[in-house]
Amino acid sequence: MMSFIAPHLPLLDLICIGTGYALSQAIVFRAGTFSVATSGFAALGAYCAAILVVKQGFHPALAVGLGTLLGLLAGLLLAAPLARLRGVYQAIASLAFVEILVALILFFEDLTGGPLGFHSIPRVVQPWMLVVAMLLTMAMLYVLGKGAIGRAFEAMRQDPPVAASLGVNPTKYHVISFALSGAIAGLFGGLDALRNFSLTAEQFGFSILIATLSAVVLGGRRTVVGPLVGVTILVLLPEIFRPLAQYRQAIYGLLLVVVMAFLPFGVYDTIRLRMRDRRLARQAVAAASSGARA
Amino acid sequence: MTALRLQGVGKRFGGLRAVAPFDMSIEPGRITGLIGPNGAGKTTVVNLITGVYKLSEGRILFGDQDLSAAPRHEVARAGLARTYQTIRLLPDATVVENVVIGMYRHQTTSLLAQMFGLPSSRAETARFRAEAQQLLERFGMTRYANYPAGALSYGDQRRVEMMRALALKPKVLLLDEPVAGINDVEAQRLGEIFRALADEGMAVLLIEHNMRFVTRLCDYVYVLDSGQLIAQGSAAEVVSNPTVIKAYLGEAIDA
Amino acid sequence: MIAQQVLNGLVLGGVYALFALGFTLIFGIHRIMNMAHGAVFMSGAFIGLFTVQAGLPIWAALPVAMVGAGLVSIFIEVIAFKPLRKLALADAELASIISSIGAGLIVLSLGQYVSKTQTLRFPFGTVPVDAIQVLGLRVTMLQLLMLGVALVLVVLLAYYLYRTPQGRQVRAVAGNYRTAQLLGVNPNAIFYQTFFVSGALAGAAGVMVGLAFNSVQFLMGEPFLLKAFVAIILGGMGSIPGALVGAMVLGLFQTLSAAYLPALLVDAVIFLLLFIILMVRPDGLFVQTVTESPTQRV
Repeated sequence: MMSFIAPHLPLLDLICIGTGYALSQAIVFRAGTFSVATSGFAALGAYCAAILVVKQGFHPALAVGLGTLLGLLAGLLLAAPLARLRGVYQAIASLAFVEILVALILFFEDLTGGPLGFHSIPRVVQPWMLVVAMLLTMAMLYVLGKGAIGRAFEAMRQDPPVAASLGVNPTKYHVISFALSGAIAGLFGGLDALRNFSLTAEQFGFSILIATLSAVVLGGRRTVVGPLVGVTILVLLPEIFRPLAQYRQAIYGLLLVVVMAFLPFGVYDTIRLRMRDRRLARQAVAAASSGARA
Repeated sequence: MTALRLQGVGKRFGGLRAVAPFDMSIEPGRITGLIGPNGAGKTTVVNLITGVYKLSEGRILFGDQDLSAAPRHEVARAGLARTYQTIRLLPDATVVENVVIGMYRHQTTSLLAQMFGLPSSRAETARFRAEAQQLLERFGMTRYANYPAGALSYGDQRRVEMMRALALKPKVLLLDEPVAGINDVEAQRLGEIFRALADEGMAVLLIEHNMRFVTRLCDYVYVLDSGQLIAQGSAAEVVSNPTVIKAYLGEAIDA
Repeated sequence: MIAQQVLNGLVLGGVYALFALGFTLIFGIHRIMNMAHGAVFMSGAFIGLFTVQAGLPIWAALPVAMVGAGLVSIFIEVIAFKPLRKLALADAELASIISSIGAGLIVLSLGQYVSKTQTLRFPFGTVPVDAIQVLGLRVTMLQLLMLGVALVLVVLLAYYLYRTPQGRQVRAVAGNYRTAQLLGVNPNAIFYQTFFVSGALAGAAGVMVGLAFNSVQFLMGEPFLLKAFVAIILGGMGSIPGALVGAMVLGLFQTLSAAYLPALLVDAVIFLLLFIILMVRPDGLFVQTVTESPTQRV
């Protein structure tokens, strides 16, 4: 079994971390927010963990924990200013946040290594840790989604004024969604830092932001499995099309265009919706025919 | 049960006077009507009560609570529920989910319990679902429980909205044209439900154009025209009031 | 010297203006964020370069590049946005952003292939390297060209939008297709026109930037797209005069920051400006009748 998995471990790493980031992104979408701040929170978690381990000798688990906390705090702080903005403007403000952060990381060279990057990070994180982290996060978000917080998020996403008129405090849930997003991104950022030997600011910039966004929209943003599906597709794609490696970007782009045209809710979510519709139709037919008999 | 009282409530949008200061009392156990020609300001009044608009003048008191400056979610938590002129369900959510979200203000479990799905939170969710199913049975909508609310017919959607409002277990129910576009039989059934609710002690405000509906159901009626309160009284009095007739039908056709 | 920096800022602003105007035209009319705009910009630079390499002078290559970029823009509209229009989703916004990202990637990879991932340069002497003295400032031919092109194109754009019947139709449509259709306007025609104009402007900007920085490479669009957001938010999303003003302000701000601040902080400061504007005055400096408010109204 291991000999089958072993050559693919780097892919597994990528899928787990990518899914972590994608879940962080998806949770704010579920609450009706259009923020893309995830990569910024991840950067904070990553550099926090790396700096604490390498420069201060912290235990890796503690460092990652503190990275998670930093992400959570950043989420809390960002929630208030972004709450007043709508849709596209929220997205741009969160994009500005990420760009400011990346620029600052590049600037404070003494702390972060600047443009040269931060190196010699011990590779403490094993693939199984990533898998566990990913599964636990998915489980937590699943439970959360089924419960009261999930209901409030759904209401806020679909009709914010109605949600408010039912007693849902929009600010409270807005803040919760950002705190969760920040914490999850901070956690996976920290894990990312400790499995990579080195960090650069660019790896948390515009490209990963777009990649994470694409993964979520590609796979499905209303479920917990959707982001995993999206990330898996995006990670496996270059591997499957290895012979066509130079056209990788074009294939990636084509994939996005085609999936959006035919499965606009994301691959997983759209399939699930179609299955549910079919199930309801079958039930309706069954009920009608049994009613006719009675 | 307490009454909802509007004292000198008025609204201006910039230079435009939408509602002139007036008093209104929505008493428990009664169905109070708010009627008037289109554009009279009836929905504006409901929006003022529910906190969608800020009051320009006056106060809104609910028992000893001052709701004048309360944001929407606090008004709801105080026990005021409203329905909308145009149906506003959550289209992607199922009928059951739409009703369950109405019970939001009765949640007692902590945030932590909700986040990690602790037994207390799960039990609460189960309880809410069971109550929602009861409401569905009462309205005869059980077989639609798992349908996305957006897929239902207009009449059925209206019923889901009613169930959602009732799920809130409100002390005050604000109905904004609840039987618009509904046939007479359905309207009658809904009217009976409103009557029953009022008899149980709820304070019900009914905004409607259907005059038969209003005269049959309302114990007391307020009449607005162009933002002004032009008449109030029992349904019979108001309907025969010449000022009211003029507002609805225009000047009498004299020679 | 400050005056020199101001001149540089205005030249940069002119280029930003062309880029931003194209982007905000699409957003103002169709409420779409065209994330492939950077790729269109890049394709303009490439087409301009190849035209010059084929022997044409710059003043002929520029229109060719503009037309080419306009066609690329229409291509992107057809593959990325058109399919989603038919689907009419409530949240087609997000899907169309991703779709345009995908379309942009396709164009980008074409650029990468064509350039073999190398940085290409315009031949030396494409624009004469002389400079003139104006009011004590040294103005190069290139700077004159950039300012001139920006000015001419902005005037042409204004003429098109406010004086021609086609332009008036475009403005009338602004987000409300059904009404426009009822009035006899063909929405497809509007799409093709607006995307073509948007692309042509971006293409011109691409050629200018390719000349100014002496480099044409397939990733050149990305930093511009990000900075363009700043210009557009400054001026007000969807506002044509606003985009112009915002672009000029951005050009000046960036040039002056680069002159007086450490290089690595310039970006931070620019995006901080963007963030602050969104906090304080999200409507932008030009408050026009926008149909959707940037702030929540729950």
